[in-house]
Amino acid sequence: MVVSDSLSSDRGTILRVRGPLEFKCHLVSTDARHMLKVISRTFETLKSQVKSESCVLTVCDSPVIIWPNKDVYITPQEITPNAPCDDILKWIQSDEQDPAGLRSAKKKSKKSSAASVINLRLMMEATKTGPLSAPILSRTVQKSHFLSTTFPVDCVVRTTVNETIKDAFERLLKALTHQLCEMEKVTLQHTKGTTLLVPEPLHFLLPEPKGLVTVVYPAGVPDSQLEAQRKELHQQFELPDDWPYFRRANTYHFPNEPYKDGYLRNPHLVLTHPTLDNGKVYLVQGTYSYHHYMQDHTDDNGWGCAYRSLQTICSWFQQQGYVERAVPSHKETQQALVDVGDKKASFVGSRQWIGSIEVQAVLNQLLGVTSKIMFVSQGSELASKGRELANHFLTEGTPIMIGGGVLAHTILGVAWSETSGQIRYLILDPHYTGAEDLQVVTDKV
Amino acid sequence: MGRTYIVEDVVEGYLTKQCEQTAGPVSGLLIGQSSTQREYVVTATRTPQREESTASGGNSPDKEWVTEHARQVSRMLPGGLSVLGVFIVTDTDAKDTLTTLRQLVFAVENLISSERLWTSAEDDVSDRVVLHVNPKTRKTLCRTFDVKDPKSVAKPADWKYQSGVCSSWSTVSCCVSVDVLLPLPDNPTATEDTAKCLKVSARAQKAPQFVVGGGVLRLCFLQEGLRGWAHQLESAVCLIDGRRLAADAELAGGQKRNVRQTYSAQLLITPDERRLAEGVQRCGGSVSVSGAVYSTAYLHSNKPKARQAEKLLKRDAVSTLTTRAQMLLEELLTSGGASEGSSRDEHQREQFCLPHRVFCPVEASGPVCVCDYRFSDEGLSEVIDRLKEMLDMDAAEKDLDIRRETPAEVLEGDAADEPTVETAEALQSKRNYFGAAMATTVALLATAASMLYLNDV
Repeated sequence: MVVSDSLSSDRGTILRVRGPLEFKCHLVSTDARHMLKVISRTFETLKSQVKSESCVLTVCDSPVIIWPNKDVYITPQEITPNAPCDDILKWIQSDEQDPAGLRSAKKKSKKSSAASVINLRLMMEATKTGPLSAPILSRTVQKSHFLSTTFPVDCVVRTTVNETIKDAFERLLKALTHQLCEMEKVTLQHTKGTTLLVPEPLHFLLPEPKGLVTVVYPAGVPDSQLEAQRKELHQQFELPDDWPYFRRANTYHFPNEPYKDGYLRNPHLVLTHPTLDNGKVYLVQGTYSYHHYMQDHTDDNGWGCAYRSLQTICSWFQQQGYVERAVPSHKETQQALVDVGDKKASFVGSRQWIGSIEVQAVLNQLLGVTSKIMFVSQGSELASKGRELANHFLTEGTPIMIGGGVLAHTILGVAWSETSGQIRYLILDPHYTGAEDLQVVTDKV
Repeated sequence: MGRTYIVEDVVEGYLTKQCEQTAGPVSGLLIGQSSTQREYVVTATRTPQREESTASGGNSPDKEWVTEHARQVSRMLPGGLSVLGVFIVTDTDAKDTLTTLRQLVFAVENLISSERLWTSAEDDVSDRVVLHVNPKTRKTLCRTFDVKDPKSVAKPADWKYQSGVCSSWSTVSCCVSVDVLLPLPDNPTATEDTAKCLKVSARAQKAPQFVVGGGVLRLCFLQEGLRGWAHQLESAVCLIDGRRLAADAELAGGQKRNVRQTYSAQLLITPDERRLAEGVQRCGGSVSVSGAVYSTAYLHSNKPKARQAEKLLKRDAVSTLTTRAQMLLEELLTSGGASEGSSRDEHQREQFCLPHRVFCPVEASGPVCVCDYRFSDEGLSEVIDRLKEMLDMDAAEKDLDIRRETPAEVLEGDAADEPTVETAEALQSKRNYFGAAMATTVALLATAASMLYLNDV
């Protein structure tokens, strides 16, 4: 079910090829054995297509096209198969680059530690060298069934530094063929009667040195029904059972890939850390999405800050795969408080402010998550809690909501020095009212 | 400012010849290429004589006959060539014939566009020309109508003769492999099917149907089925001479005039993201179309753009396949049963060969060709006869270019359960290189291999 990349310790470029593969076959009977035979045969056809000279990989946002099975033939011909893979990056038009190709000082700070990704599209060449024979029309008349669908191929290979295009693409082709084999297994396993589940490849980032791993899941089957497979994977990769590495919510998100829901993820990552004498940085672990005023067409300017902070925390639990529940809207949060008896029914739909106690109640009610409340009578006292905050980020790693008076914020991390007691806080501000623009958001910080 | 028509000298000679014959008024078609700035008329052909003279004969041309002629001629025009308009040689006053000509030109356009699987683009020229020639005075009257506008009025246009209009046109071509598998509808006589056919086109509904063993293969069904393939081609990535050119790039960047250019194209396709039918569905069988079509398009020599070349080439690929499918169905209808070119095996599967494409140059030294389709049981003489009847061309066998495609051959003794698409294709390509004897051996080997794999009860 899994392809693992054994060279994950190097920081080479990631090659990612995606594309739909058409899967069509005529089933003369719905007898299970016949269906499995026909499905296997169709997969053989797909595999031979992918291994044929007609298989083409086009580099997105670039004029580069590669024929991996024709001695790795490349157009434009300025690029040779023996050139290093990273050469392809020079041919990709990226929005981040200045016309002059230089990076401004500001943009330098945005350079994340993630490797760069070359996105490729899987296509087939429809033209061949002639002369070829004219078409034949073949007709079979029989009451039967027809199977037609597309499989979403999504294959990833991490190159080593200075690996040639030829070697990297030959590996990519092998990975593609292997993915088709995995898809075949999943399809055959999950075909029942006349329903067919589409095999869906997903990528998961495991702790080094295992790196990026691809798993093929049957689409539409919820995580709860795939527990057996996930247990097997945990065993195979010797992973502890208390972190949901293989839940769908934890799929690896590739850099520069926009999220379908439009929220920014982990905007704090592009910032530089403050330096303190003997200080260390303790950050939230995993991903969260940034929730703030005015999102989701809800005008909560002035009263919704704690609700937004709660949403950010809920997003963390969802994205780490602890819960499948979507982030609650303001009304849902208010309803939860009514349900636990904390507020009257008229609370729902109001613009009333909530505090830490309410946030704790909602987290418990909606997510089944328990939280600890730490009281500080004055803001200045927070500095003395440095050790506790650092510990929290080390062990739990969740974002912290801080509320007091009429303001609420989210603490994402601390930079704390054990020796001097100096402390700095990384704050996510829910009072922001602008758009989901990483540049604007981090500049304000 | 009207349109300008640049016309080959030979067309002038042809029209003069029509003036000299005395059998009555002559109508015909004008063939060439449109571009945003001007139109190029490459050849003209008179409407063929009808065997029975109809009562309504007299001075006005038979509208149905002329449009049917236009439909057949349209099939014989590769990419870049199209029917630009009609001409009439008659001593009736020009003003009186203008209405008839207008009707003709609209009818021709409606018929031809109803058979297309590709949609016309915004930037396609929609002006069509009508030319009136008075045989006694040799005066010509040239007007255009906008066929996209039902209320359009005649606009004046310039008609200029020139020599060598298309002698240095560019040619873009490629060989497109076809591999389509479609489900047959479960209940072919159901009313929904008829309704679907109606949506395709009124004409297609009246189009030939072929009945075999209770099943029905309608033309409109085939058209609908091929629509997915046509759409894939329309959105395909096009490489010209191995490179992907910017849409506005010129095809022959800075070339000298009078130097003929040939380009080879490649098309990269990807399956349609939007799916019409997902999963397992009931069907009444399946139809597969498998093989290759040679596709070509011509471009005028006045700074043609890569985008235009791509558009015309893709349209030609789609047209040539659908034309052949239509011709097959028409042929089966007229031969009233299974054609000689078919074979039926014990698995209820029938195979039919689509005709292959043959080219004939319009003028001896030029690159521009018209084409015809030859069924496997026809000789070249039939092709020559059709070229004469439809396009009034006097061609000899040696002028014909028959090497672009090889005729399809039905594979005997192929015992696979379902149409094994990939084996058929592999065998066909082998046939080209090693000859028939070798191909038979390969066919037997493939059969043996597939029998081992199937492990049938």
